[in-house]
Amino acid sequence: MSGRIAVPVFPGTNSEDETVRLLRDCGGDAELVHWSAPERLAEYDAYVLSGGFAYEDRIRAGAIAAHDRIMDFVIEAAAAGKLVFGICNGAQILLEAGLVPGTGPIRRPTAAFATNLPEAHFVCRHVYLKLAVEPARCAMTAALPPNALVPAWAAHAEGRLAATPAHLDEIAAGRHVAFVYAHANGRVDDDAVPNGSALRCAGLVNRAGNVLAVMPHPERDGWNFNHLERCVGDDVLAPSGGATLFRSFVQAVAQS
Amino acid sequence: MVESVALRDDELQRIVERLGREPSVVELHAFDAQWSEHCSYKSTRHHLKRLPVSGAGVVLGPGEDAGALHLGTHAGQAYAVVVAHESHNHPSQIVPFEGAATGVGGIVRDVLCMGAEVIAVADPLRLGRVERAGAHARHVAQGVVDGIAAYANAIGVPNLAGDAYFEEGFDENCLVNVVALGLVKENELIHSYAPKGAEDWAIVLVGKATDPSGFGGASFSSLALDATAAQASKGAVQVPDPFLKSVLMRASYRVFALLRERKVSAAFKDLGAGGIMGCSAEITAHGGYGAQIDLDRVNVAVERMAPEVIAVGETQERLLWVLPPEIAGEVVRIYNEEFTLPEVAYNARATIVGRVTAEPRYVMRYRGKTVMDVESEFLAGSIRDELPYTEVIRHTTAVEELPAIDVETLLPRVLAHRDVASREPLYRRYDAVVRGATVLPRGAADAGVLAPIPGSRLGVALAVAGNPRYGRIDPGYAAEHAVVEAMRRVVAIGARPIGLTNCLNFGNPRKPEQYGAFVAAVDGLARAATELDLPFVSGNVSLYNESVAGAAIPASAIVACIGALDDVAQCVTPGLKQAGSALLWIGSRELAAGGSVLAELLGSDGNLPAISYGGERAAVGIVHDSIVRGVLRSCRAVSDGGMLTALARLAFDAMLRGRSVGAEIDFGNPLCETGGFICEVSDESEIDLTGALQIGRTIAGTELIVNGARFEIARLHEIWSRPLAGIYP
Repeated sequence: MSGRIAVPVFPGTNSEDETVRLLRDCGGDAELVHWSAPERLAEYDAYVLSGGFAYEDRIRAGAIAAHDRIMDFVIEAAAAGKLVFGICNGAQILLEAGLVPGTGPIRRPTAAFATNLPEAHFVCRHVYLKLAVEPARCAMTAALPPNALVPAWAAHAEGRLAATPAHLDEIAAGRHVAFVYAHANGRVDDDAVPNGSALRCAGLVNRAGNVLAVMPHPERDGWNFNHLERCVGDDVLAPSGGATLFRSFVQAVAQS
Repeated sequence: MVESVALRDDELQRIVERLGREPSVVELHAFDAQWSEHCSYKSTRHHLKRLPVSGAGVVLGPGEDAGALHLGTHAGQAYAVVVAHESHNHPSQIVPFEGAATGVGGIVRDVLCMGAEVIAVADPLRLGRVERAGAHARHVAQGVVDGIAAYANAIGVPNLAGDAYFEEGFDENCLVNVVALGLVKENELIHSYAPKGAEDWAIVLVGKATDPSGFGGASFSSLALDATAAQASKGAVQVPDPFLKSVLMRASYRVFALLRERKVSAAFKDLGAGGIMGCSAEITAHGGYGAQIDLDRVNVAVERMAPEVIAVGETQERLLWVLPPEIAGEVVRIYNEEFTLPEVAYNARATIVGRVTAEPRYVMRYRGKTVMDVESEFLAGSIRDELPYTEVIRHTTAVEELPAIDVETLLPRVLAHRDVASREPLYRRYDAVVRGATVLPRGAADAGVLAPIPGSRLGVALAVAGNPRYGRIDPGYAAEHAVVEAMRRVVAIGARPIGLTNCLNFGNPRKPEQYGAFVAAVDGLARAATELDLPFVSGNVSLYNESVAGAAIPASAIVACIGALDDVAQCVTPGLKQAGSALLWIGSRELAAGGSVLAELLGSDGNLPAISYGGERAAVGIVHDSIVRGVLRSCRAVSDGGMLTALARLAFDAMLRGRSVGAEIDFGNPLCETGGFICEVSDESEIDLTGALQIGRTIAGTELIVNGARFEIARLHEIWSRPLAGIYP
């Protein structure tokens, strides 16, 4: 029995449709929940916060949305052990809400997704997420192989993990860096990082492993037709690539 | 009379005679906007009639806010691509970020109001010399890119295509053209005029609270820019709000669904030039109706605005519905309650501001008084200015003897040329992949491609063209070439070209030689489009593009070509694929260097490359045939920087994807920009080679070998990648 997945929409969210579509193509029972009806969120078993510019990214990306009523429900759900997955703006919101890395109090973030460096502006670049923890560390990555590579698009202006040295040590030691940036061949170096992120971090997981936040968009390289390197004979409409992470998430929802 | 209007004395005279009285202040500003070049196309419309606008694939031709082309059928349902193309040149020159951002905002509304989901934007840019730090042209070049990025990224519409040229002629008057695409089921298209039986229907204004920004915008964009006026006109530039637009788009999609459920018709139109007045006058007059508008009901941002400012001010992020009264309340509720517009931006909302009247008079009331009462047709109908023009001389396109060139030194210089160098530093600021439908993102190939319909293999391709190096020499040729080049780009990725849009950016129509360039360009567009059997379904004219000293910009007929793919699996992916393929040059190869980057570097003139339509049609056929037979491995259209640049880019793309494939070719002058396609073909014997020339083969390794000269592909890539990185760090 597959659980029900909510994709909440804030004013300014812009990636909700493709997120729902890929979740469904991966077998998930997903639907949008609008900001004018947040009370509906309590009915769901898992949550995916999609990309965009919630509340115009005023102050900082995610800063206002983290205090929206939608997040009251999501924070409560996370505390109850439900699965929460944030992508790009969704990841920024989870960080601002204090859910990842989750090393400080709620809504008192101990780290930031700060303005990219050295290119201090929006950058749209194809990247690979490399699983940097053992798969079972996070319920949502449990179905991925060790060191899994997931293709995705970085498309953000504020995605550079930044924190004090003490907090970065805490993040590293607590195995909160779920994903790092890598090249297509799996090599990890600074050239693979599109935004100067500390620890080459592309994704964070909380201590309990039920909240995952990734900056790049797997859903934008989630079907065969999205890949520049298609193979003849592939079904162009089949989910693949970034869909591997979505599938792993959907499986975790089914098992939760 | 009032100093701030651009109406001429003879136009004022016509108004006084027709009304039988002096116009009121509101009326004066209303006619000023409606009769501006920007709204009326008064000096261009009769010329534009020469463009071909019909054909089997045309769902909706020019005349409304956007045109539409048949894309294909999926699950028994016919889908159309909605296309709009506009300029935002003058605002972008003055306040580049806001000017370009509102350009995107406007074009997106033009597509949205056809009942379509907005699926892509493109941005052909013509910018000034950017090399000098501190130059205004550099500030403009940076600002417009950031403005386009900020707006389109925020609303979640991918940038699919675009180009950029940097020319002295655009130092004081940049061109910011924007194209938008939408997707709509053909039977769900919404028109921009009140339908049959619309008497007494509600007129509903939706969006941002009306404010004093953008007052006088239509007449402002219909005047030449001069420095002091530019400062004074800053108030005529609107303020972008992509956050509100993002919500407005989604709320409108919800309203489209409601109209489908209830099976009711409606009209929907963008508020552009002329504001509430222009939009409500046209949406009703074009259906044969009048309108009664109550300005007191308009949601405003500041108190005590003059009625003429409320009536014609061009505040962004507004649209207008004409709706049956029984559904108007529900639509208002969707915007205001479900999508909480008043909480998204100050006093933003949907409001019923008036009604459609059977009597064709346009009437506005304010504080209990009638401030405007004119015949709708006189206000919103077509007016015409027959202006004198000078015929432009066509330059010859004969084949010529070219001097032998030193490829070894020239290829790196061509690749580093401002018109050839990589645009990635610019377009990587644009979101190319939001919506998850991108097949070929901006910059990956000659055209961008989307798979816009979930669950369908249908694809849509988009490319733009318009070479100002030709525009400086021969406006008519440049226009023809723009059509051909945009088409080639769509063909090169494997799509079938289905239609065109244009934006004609020219100088002052009251100067006969500048107006002559416009007329020649229309002829060029008409000739090329007719020969290639491609209809124009939408377009835009931007005049008065001049330097401060009164020199016209390089003639700039900018064209976008839309292509269709029955199956996105057939789209040609970037980069050389493997060693041992034949390299064919298909299509025009006449040796002529005029207008090329090569000619500029050599300091020479030269004839323009001839356009042979028979040859173009044959080349398109060969490329298609080789795709269908599965023998085409990679392909690029020959364009700026010539055949060798096209080949180098195929090699770069192979290298970037980890394939070690180079090429060895032998060809007299590989830097001529004569057109055609460079194709990597698996077995040349299977296709009809008439019109194709084998110039070499792909080889294993990391080198490009040209007439014996050897180049490391990685080094060429470095040379090509660097130049714009300093301007777009």
